[in-house]
Amino acid sequence: MRWRRILVPAVMTGRELARRGLALGLLTALPLAFYGASADHSDNAITTGGIAMAFSIAGASIFVAMTARPVDQRLILAGYRPWELLLGRLLLLELFGVLVAGIFSVVMVFGSSPSDPWLVAGGVGLVSLSSVPFGLAVGEIAPHELEGVLVLIGVVGVQLTLDSSQAASRLLPFWGAARLMDRAGNVVSTIGPAVPVDLLYAVALFVLAIYIMHRRSPAAAARPAA
Amino acid sequence: MSALQTHTDTIAPPPPAPAQPQLEARGITKRYGSRLVLDRASLSVAAGESVAIIGENGAGKSTLMRICAGLIRPDGGEVEVLGRVGYCPQQPGLFDLLSADEHLELLAPALGMRREAALRQGHELLAEFAFPVAERTQTRHLSGGARQKVNLALALLGGPTVLLLDEPYQGFDHGAYVSFWEHVARWTSLGMGVVVVTHLLADRDLVDRVVELRIPQLDAPPTP
Repeated sequence: MRWRRILVPAVMTGRELARRGLALGLLTALPLAFYGASADHSDNAITTGGIAMAFSIAGASIFVAMTARPVDQRLILAGYRPWELLLGRLLLLELFGVLVAGIFSVVMVFGSSPSDPWLVAGGVGLVSLSSVPFGLAVGEIAPHELEGVLVLIGVVGVQLTLDSSQAASRLLPFWGAARLMDRAGNVVSTIGPAVPVDLLYAVALFVLAIYIMHRRSPAAAARPAA
Repeated sequence: MSALQTHTDTIAPPPPAPAQPQLEARGITKRYGSRLVLDRASLSVAAGESVAIIGENGAGKSTLMRICAGLIRPDGGEVEVLGRVGYCPQQPGLFDLLSADEHLELLAPALGMRREAALRQGHELLAEFAFPVAERTQTRHLSGGARQKVNLALALLGGPTVLLLDEPYQGFDHGAYVSFWEHVARWTSLGMGVVVVTHLLADRDLVDRVVELRIPQLDAPPTP
């Protein structure tokens, strides 16, 4: 029955998220506006729109983590493991991310006619994949929603500002995705280790989120599960 | 006289052995920064016993409860628990956008219960507190008292052996408050150990034992 301990938190996260329709709509509209504003005059429009998509998915993940925080201690005390709660949320949020990434891929492929549409889809997919653990980790670490959102704006903003060829860009969680989308827009000629670097980053952030949640309820998390 | 005493001692049944504590916290110390919140505090509750924790604001009552529940780590001392702790926090830890039933469903896998069993038992508990079980409202739309009833039912779900209740009747009307103490008597009669943090003087007469926490006097420098 272990799967129920992952599936049920995922379902409840989905119901909660679905009841935040307006907030989700606004979160999705923001990066679409970024793309729309630069689509007809910038070579970087695809990268800008794709990376800005992290605002939507990581933003939703931060809100999920933050609203769950006061309840998580009760859930862990009842017998959930931190990794079960976070894995359930990760799976549901990745599903949401795939949906948003699909919308963005279609809009940007038709809007910018890139030479390789699959690279756009890959880049946007990678943003979606990395955004959830990034948002969950920020949601676990930041003391309040305001600080969490400021970290999100800071990291995504700096990633948007930096050229993917710059060394500092490699230190951020969406470098690989930016590289893929830059290649799709013929801004750079090679991809390099873009995909494994972002995947590794995503795994590290997810492990960090589990670690922080575990630290928050030390004794309860260490008790044997029901 | 002394012979009689000896005789009485012989025929009287042996005194009951002290019940084994369901929860025992010894020498609990906790600091928040340089502020000493708990200084070698102790708490124990046996099966079938009710204990009230009293003390001024800032005496560390809630902190001690959270340490006993395993939600925060003490800087010193140890906690031993037999069985499972049910914890009802002062502020109801609920998802604003989920209903009471959805909270019951969410807790079911953690407690090793089937969904149907958790809903059935949860509805029984909620009905005992006169919570409208048919209610499907998201908890953000519930009154303070109704949220607290959900909070209490979630703490009781799955039948814990020790119940830690941190001012559990905030927002209750008089009837619900009286009913709450009737329930405490019933839970202890079933062998549950119950600890209640309270500010109400009248509550002292309703429990088996009272533990008073005092604000530690010295704000000693933090231990390295």
